[in-house]
Amino acid sequence: MYRYDEFDHGFVKARTEEFRDQVERRVAGQLNEDQFRPLRLMNGLYLQLHAYMLRVAIPYGTLSATQMRRLAHIARTYDRGYGHFTTRQNIQFNWPRLKDVPAILDELAGVEMHAIQTSGNCIRNVTTDAFAGAAADEVIDPRPVAEIIRQWSSVHPEFTYLPRKFKIAITGAPNDRAAVKFHDIGLMASANAQGEIGWAVHVGGGMGRTPMIGKLINGFVPHADLLAYLESILRVYNRYGRRDNKYKARVKILVHEEGLDAIRDQVEAEFEAARGGVLTLPQTELDRIAAYFVPPEFAEVATEFDLEVERRRDPAFARFVENNSFPHRQPGYASVTVSLKPVGGAPGDASAEQMDVLADLAKKYSFGELRVSHEQNIVLPHVAISDLRDLHAGLVAAGLATGNIGSITDMIACPGLDYCALANARSIPVAQELSRRFADPARQKQIGPLKIKISGCINACGHHHVGHIGILGVEKKGTELYQITIGGDATEQASIGTILGPGLSAEQVPGAVETLVDTYLLARASPEESFIAAHRRLGDAPFKEALYGSR
Amino acid sequence: MKAELDIVTANELLSGAVVYLGRDGALHAGLAAARLFGPDKTAERDALIAKARASGRIVGIETEKVAVEAGGVLPQRLRERIRANGPTAPYGPERQDLGAPHVSL
Ligand code: SF4
Repeated sequence: MYRYDEFDHGFVKARTEEFRDQVERRVAGQLNEDQFRPLRLMNGLYLQLHAYMLRVAIPYGTLSATQMRRLAHIARTYDRGYGHFTTRQNIQFNWPRLKDVPAILDELAGVEMHAIQTSGNCIRNVTTDAFAGAAADEVIDPRPVAEIIRQWSSVHPEFTYLPRKFKIAITGAPNDRAAVKFHDIGLMASANAQGEIGWAVHVGGGMGRTPMIGKLINGFVPHADLLAYLESILRVYNRYGRRDNKYKARVKILVHEEGLDAIRDQVEAEFEAARGGVLTLPQTELDRIAAYFVPPEFAEVATEFDLEVERRRDPAFARFVENNSFPHRQPGYASVTVSLKPVGGAPGDASAEQMDVLADLAKKYSFGELRVSHEQNIVLPHVAISDLRDLHAGLVAAGLATGNIGSITDMIACPGLDYCALANARSIPVAQELSRRFADPARQKQIGPLKIKISGCINACGHHHVGHIGILGVEKKGTELYQITIGGDATEQASIGTILGPGLSAEQVPGAVETLVDTYLLARASPEESFIAAHRRLGDAPFKEALYGSR
Repeated sequence: MKAELDIVTANELLSGAVVYLGRDGALHAGLAAARLFGPDKTAERDALIAKARASGRIVGIETEKVAVEAGGVLPQRLRERIRANGPTAPYGPERQDLGAPHVSL
């Protein structure tokens, strides 16, 4: 993992001190809320319905055991004993008190973390594949580049007041697990004619009010030029992005309104001027950063695992292995996803005790490393297959052994109207009810991979646009209604779900999902044809018909 | 016959907790203590809002419609009912939006 250098330490410490002073002045009445609000937001501190909310950046979702333990400590000491892991691979604390926030930031700085740039119209925390540096299908480990982007974008003087927030995602694998086409910039490892690895750059993707799939602006940007290219895009956006209308201010609207070719021309002109200049990354610097991410010292371990035997011996364990382990590039190892989606739970929530257990287990079984996935789970990236049983036992004891990754109950849900000041409707109770409705593992297995994603408003933090089944909370005449979408996909085969019909009440939602699932089960060509594949073949019609009849 | 009245609510500066302008003119946690303003009390209500705002101890003051039903006060918007009663899907068995150490009043 990356370790802070002197500059990082000094900078984060200075920011914490600055914020401590600002909080003191606010409490003393020397700053009013209009003056203080932008200052607290710059430090990740929001005001929600019942309390402040602190959003802590987890750079590209990577955590050490020590950091996870510190998050547990913060949850226990300054908050209400839990935290919420988000689709941006961050963690949110729901109940911090204003005067405690500087102390929390001190605690974070002590483990090389902070909450800077988790709000505001700046470049936000860069996100990536939760299996980065471990996945068998990976072409290149994206973390060194993610770290370089982090350093470049941190308090970048030119890009601190962009027209709107700006999100970058990066994947080093051809199977996109970071939803890169739904970010302002999405980077995907690609090879040129000489077989060198560089980056395909997508621009103008996003969700929210106007969902868009990112468009390929350049198929191959070499490592050395990547920062210059990113800076060129940001410059064009900063200059031409609309500041007159918040709803049209994201780069996706600029690309959409001006056209990709026009934007590309501008970017290329900037790039011509910038390339070869100060932003060129020398190989020595790339190597220096990459050295922080060298793979751990894997042991020679047994690679054999007889799932059939395990199935007879311990079906829950077999299910866990089958669903929650992911192929590792090192023989004898697997990446394990720990589900934060127990039956009846709030997706992404973990208690302080669970965070401690995760830290301990990471230390014991995963070289002290953890990841937060954008699907709101925790990944232990490097687990020896021979340790899976012991790891599972440790997770069972902490209520963390739900073997449902990729299944219908592995849902994304945002905090919604239970916490969020922007919400129109609740998300968590809908997710809880669905998880109960589909709790039976045999049923989950019969249904196969199916992604449900729930947002409490059109801001789409719960990624409903890219849910195979998406659920969007809206408000109509004082009541919560839920729009059901179908056919969204966050992967490299990116698609945006279509709305099937008028909104449904919360009570109707589980039944509606059952109807869609039953329609799929009846219509699928074979048990191997997944929900999303069947939808691609069949289109919306049979699902719409099943849900709303022929009206 | 249910009467529609106004309450005045805000978030408390130190904790962000939900507070209400009470019958005694002070801020209180808990909807039960909220003063109800009828249509004839708008001027008084607005003066109290200005005073509460000037105290600097609250953030984001709002007027909200409530109905008085069977002796209870029911905010008209679901959002307000959730602000009054805490998350409907609370983490753990206890309400987290009430009492020490959350509310600093
Ligand atoms: S989608 Fe809306 S309700 Fe959900 S967290 Fe985002 S802003 Fe809040």
